[in-house]
Amino acid sequence: MPERRRALTRTLSYGALSAVFYFLLYTYNETILHYSREGGWYFIIPVGIAFTFSIVHGNFTGQFWDLFGVKAKTTKK
Amino acid sequence: MDINFIDLGTGSVIFLFLVGFVGGLVSGFIGSGGAFVLTPAMMNMGVTAIMAVASNMAHKFPKAFVGAMKRHKFGQVDVKLGIVMGISAEAGVLYGAGIQETIRELFGKAGSNLYVSSVFVVVLAIVGSYVLRDAVKMFRSENPDEEKTTKLAKWVHSVRIPGTMMYFKSIGTEISVLFTIPLGFATGMLAATIAVGGFVGVPAMIYVLGVPGLIASATELVIAFVMGMGGSIKFAWAGYVDIRLAMIILAGSLFGIQLGAIGTTYVKPYMVKIVMGVIMMLALVSRAVVIPVYLSELEQIDRLSDTTVLMLKNLSFGLLIFALTVGALIVFNALIKGMRAHRRKLAEEQAPVGTFTPATAPQQLSPMGRLERIMLVTDGTEYSESAVDESINVARRCKAKLFAYSVMPTADLESPLAAPMHKQAKQEVVDRLLEVRKKAEAEGVECEILLGHGEDPYTEIVDQAEQSNMDVIVMGRRDKGDLVRAMLGSTTEKVIGHTHSDVLVVPRGGKIEGKGIILPIDGSRYSDAAAVTTLSLVKQCQAPVTVVSVAVDERLRDDARMLAEKVQTLMAESDVKVDIDVRVGRPDEAILASVKEHGADMIVMGSHGLTALERLLVGSVSERVIGQAECPVMVVKL
Repeated sequence: MPERRRALTRTLSYGALSAVFYFLLYTYNETILHYSREGGWYFIIPVGIAFTFSIVHGNFTGQFWDLFGVKAKTTKK
Repeated sequence: MDINFIDLGTGSVIFLFLVGFVGGLVSGFIGSGGAFVLTPAMMNMGVTAIMAVASNMAHKFPKAFVGAMKRHKFGQVDVKLGIVMGISAEAGVLYGAGIQETIRELFGKAGSNLYVSSVFVVVLAIVGSYVLRDAVKMFRSENPDEEKTTKLAKWVHSVRIPGTMMYFKSIGTEISVLFTIPLGFATGMLAATIAVGGFVGVPAMIYVLGVPGLIASATELVIAFVMGMGGSIKFAWAGYVDIRLAMIILAGSLFGIQLGAIGTTYVKPYMVKIVMGVIMMLALVSRAVVIPVYLSELEQIDRLSDTTVLMLKNLSFGLLIFALTVGALIVFNALIKGMRAHRRKLAEEQAPVGTFTPATAPQQLSPMGRLERIMLVTDGTEYSESAVDESINVARRCKAKLFAYSVMPTADLESPLAAPMHKQAKQEVVDRLLEVRKKAEAEGVECEILLGHGEDPYTEIVDQAEQSNMDVIVMGRRDKGDLVRAMLGSTTEKVIGHTHSDVLVVPRGGKIEGKGIILPIDGSRYSDAAAVTTLSLVKQCQAPVTVVSVAVDERLRDDARMLAEKVQTLMAESDVKVDIDVRVGRPDEAILASVKEHGADMIVMGSHGLTALERLLVGSVSERVIGQAECPVMVVKL
């Protein structure tokens, strides 16, 4: 069952990466908020964080439901 | 303005995560939602209004991004339409925010709140009721899958203004951008005013542009992304975004949006409209209840007391959460039902239905009291152990053939985790069935085993018994007071309610040793059937029979005796001597007391075959006896 193992590995790695990102956000929250408050070109920081998290965490959540069999209905074409 | 970031406790983090999840679920399904709860929720935690709006935006655009990507995979997104509308929506957001500021300067905070609430109520009342009416109409129509293009949309399609025409694949024709621009603008304005532009954007795409509902709700995610990103940059430029809040909400909402998006692939198009309409109507009520507060602050009506104000505000917030929860529950329900139906279909296509060896010519033609084919249903728990023993016992005494049956949930063949788990569970069930066969054969009883698959075990059991011509189904019973049973109703009860075969319910430790049979009667056709079955039983294995007739009050005692004597006479004609026991009281209690006094080890009684609804309304004596008897109960069906 290589496909199953691959699916599990994918979910776990995205999950781990997502956890690392959240941990970093938690650890450096003061620095991040400090720059956010500055405004101006620092807008890149919150917007960039939002994008990064959406990709990593978004992939994780997608894989997560997939792993539990919650998938979109497939129609034969 | 001073920018302060609040301290976040565990409670607030969990709350934001959960609201994020529910909001994500709803917006994955209908294209928007969640924001109207999240913004006030953050404000309740002490976040300033502008930062709440800013942080909400910063979670909305990545969420919409993930949702749009997901639904794009399902072929539901019209990217071009989304971008065109999104850009005009951005202009609408800026203009809407400007109007808000002007009103705030002119009429103060209460004035601005009153403006927001009034717009909310008016817009949602008009659009929400229209959407709901349309959903109901679709639901009732002969073909619920078909979405009719409105007259307005047909007219929009027919208008041709040179130089402004653009082709959109979701509409299938060219339309003038002079229509999409104001619609996008209005969506943006509403998003800036009441935080949910989608409540106008989606219906506008459906009814004005003629976009199918599912595509409109998916395309709204693109609009929300474009609009949300513009808004986030604007707010972040000013330094108002609390990215921690946004990312906590995002953590939950991405789980939700994936589910919501998947949900859309299982439902009929009108479901999107129903969810949207219901949320809109509930959210409307929530805003309407606070209008008196703002009117009183503006001194347009008598001043309200502080407690009234607080109560109305809490009620309003509670209603918002309720609106979102109701929406999420509908989505969940639709998702689960849709997935089940789909899996059932897949399972039907993939797995041929197994059956036991069909019956050869029966020795007794009438099914009443016939005991040639006994179906044992086992679920492997301790509750069905006695059923296993007694089914073998009865089969041996009556020289019947035993058919052991177990039902497993349908395998989810698509999930990588579920498949190996299913395989392991299946092995355990098969081992158990093999063990039953070994036990039966050791007693000299011929035994066949079969494993069935299905979502609802009871329907499989009932169908199998019907197809394989079973005379009696032997099942265990969960103990009384069992929480799971109380909440879900037991499979045994459901089988009794639906099958045509007799059912022998064996409680834990119940043994049939021929000590005595109790035959409760009430003069109905059902108890007559039980009497016939009893006759057939005692012919095959000797046991003293006591006919129990219960009068609910003393005045009816003679009637009860007459009924019992009638049965006694009729049974005597078949050379079976029976005792009679006439009692006064609650039938179930009297029957159980009689069992105890006579030391009987089996009850044979008729059942009116109540289904769940009837049981809920009237209950039945047989059900209470089945639930409480310590000896096996044979439920005779007509």
